[in-house]
Amino acid sequence: MRLLVVEDDPQLRAQLRAALEAAPYAVDTAPDGEEAAFMGETEPYDAVVLDLGLPKRDGLSVLRGWRAAGRSMPVLILTARGTWQEKVEGMDAGADDYLAKPFRMEELLARVRALIRRAGGQAAAEITCGLVALDTRAGRVTVAGQPVTLTAHELRVLSYLMHHQGRVISRTELTEHVYAQDFDRDSNTIEVFIGRLRRKLGVDVIHTERGLGYRLAAP
Amino acid sequence: MGRVGSLGRRLLALAVIWVLLALLVAGVALTDLFRRHVEADLTRAMEQHLDQLTAALSAPGQGAGRPLALARELSDPRFERPLSGLYWQVSQAGTVRLRSRSLWDQDLPGGGPVPADGALHLRRAAAPEGGTLLIWERRVSLPDADQPLDIAVAANAAALEAATGNFARVLALSLGVLALGLLAAALVQVRLGLVPLDRLRAALADLRAGRSTRVQGAFPSEVQPLVDDLNQVLADNADMVERARTQAGNLAHALKTPLAVIANSAHGMADAEGARLIAAETERMRRQIDHHLSRARAAAMARGAGLRTAVAPALAGLARTIPRLHPDRDIALDLQVPDGLLFRGEGQDLQEMAGNLLDNAAKWCEGRIRLSAAPAGPGQLCIIVADDGPGIPADRRAAVLARGTRLDEAVPGSGLGLAIVDDLARLYGGVLELDEDTALGGLSARLTLPRA
Repeated sequence: MRLLVVEDDPQLRAQLRAALEAAPYAVDTAPDGEEAAFMGETEPYDAVVLDLGLPKRDGLSVLRGWRAAGRSMPVLILTARGTWQEKVEGMDAGADDYLAKPFRMEELLARVRALIRRAGGQAAAEITCGLVALDTRAGRVTVAGQPVTLTAHELRVLSYLMHHQGRVISRTELTEHVYAQDFDRDSNTIEVFIGRLRRKLGVDVIHTERGLGYRLAAP
Repeated sequence: MGRVGSLGRRLLALAVIWVLLALLVAGVALTDLFRRHVEADLTRAMEQHLDQLTAALSAPGQGAGRPLALARELSDPRFERPLSGLYWQVSQAGTVRLRSRSLWDQDLPGGGPVPADGALHLRRAAAPEGGTLLIWERRVSLPDADQPLDIAVAANAAALEAATGNFARVLALSLGVLALGLLAAALVQVRLGLVPLDRLRAALADLRAGRSTRVQGAFPSEVQPLVDDLNQVLADNADMVERARTQAGNLAHALKTPLAVIANSAHGMADAEGARLIAAETERMRRQIDHHLSRARAAAMARGAGLRTAVAPALAGLARTIPRLHPDRDIALDLQVPDGLLFRGEGQDLQEMAGNLLDNAAKWCEGRIRLSAAPAGPGQLCIIVADDGPGIPADRRAAVLARGTRLDEAVPGSGLGLAIVDDLARLYGGVLELDEDTALGGLSARLTLPRA
């Protein structure tokens, strides 16, 4: 899962990035409205954490721009001015959730998880596919109840596949949602991750659709 | 008419004084003029009588030694009727020689010798039949008389007075009618002249009642500068409030982002006790910022003139937002708000109050919330947020309105929600009451606020 964090305060931006990367998500950050607008329109994010009081361009106008351009990723608004009038404006502009500063990081993580889950059509906090279960709250994976230890990258690949079960995911799409923008991407490594995941899970849930990509489905 | 009325009364009093004074002077002058005219008429008539008398005395056939007699009687029959009020008398060297029958057995009151200049002399004396007698005299010398004759004609002034009195009465009546007409005109003039002030007063009442934000309409050139100045002051005030609100928002932003950084840093600290303390204190600071900012803003707003907010759109916005902020709960929100209902205050505060109540309802409900608003009595409206949750026991309802209380720490929220609503409602002179909802079975929060 790849997130965009838009926050002008460098300290808070760093804290958000650290907390979200530990979740683990691939995280891009933008310090101002103009950069945020461009990144949100060109990169495929699974969720956005958007501060409203931004330099250069106001957060609400950035959000309206994305929605007008047909970008439908879930957006969590983060703002210091937590009035209900602002909440209504934010939700009317196309936001999916709202969090007032200062906030507890656990609450932000919980809300981001819920946004991503709902965007993928998943209602419960635990997503299952056959014997494989992903607890989105703890980032833990079990197969038939037995915990499986995965690296951050492996977890991101599996998480994306779990959230989009039954759909064919191209290798490019997987790359885009697993790596942050500044990461040195190598699409071959995706194949490596898939291979390791198949070995660690031990069950045949990841299917290769020749020439198209991968599809997660219960055997 | 209040203060404007005193101005009207002042103008009216001036008009009354001026009209009465002018008409009084006119009445006196006209009566005097009339009297002179009537007197001149009488003088002419009496001079004719006197000429006639002189002619009758000096007719041929009257020689020396012969008794003085009139050649013919005077034409006016009143000279023959005793005490008719019209008399003549001829005297020579102080002795009365002849007199009219009307004088009967009396002489005209003596008045001393008449100057021998041939002119007509007027004097006044007491009349034999009562009243004032006007006596015209002339000394004439007849050719065959050895001594000059004093010829006098007299008329009672009563007729003259009566004519003048009649004229004065008719004149007074006419002038009185004229005065009433003029005063009525003055009244109309004052009323019409002060209409713009009445309009200004109505416009100010609208302003105070929150039906408008500036004084509307065009006024006469005497009043317009005042209205323009007033509107300028209102605009300046609105600007100032807007700037203050923006600055308050900026202050909130400037404080809260560092607070978020501090709170998050504390979370990663090795010193668990220190971390807990910092977290608790940052949370308290956040509450204080929220609390005092909303209070400051509402205090400024509640006194501001010309504020009104349509209730329906404000609540509809919340009704759209609340279920989306609680996506994991299947909330059916029943919105019953009549169009055209106006809250006398800031829209932001209305949404703050209703939003906090709705958020509480959304946290506690089983799935149903009813949000309704209606006019309540003169100048008030009520907003009711009811849910089908567990409600609050009657003995604890007062406690939840106290600042910072939270009945169940497990449900997220600042715990200030209801207290902030209560605070804001009081600032607007309203009230928040908690009760059990008879229809849904949960809590019913009833907010009474000023209506515009």
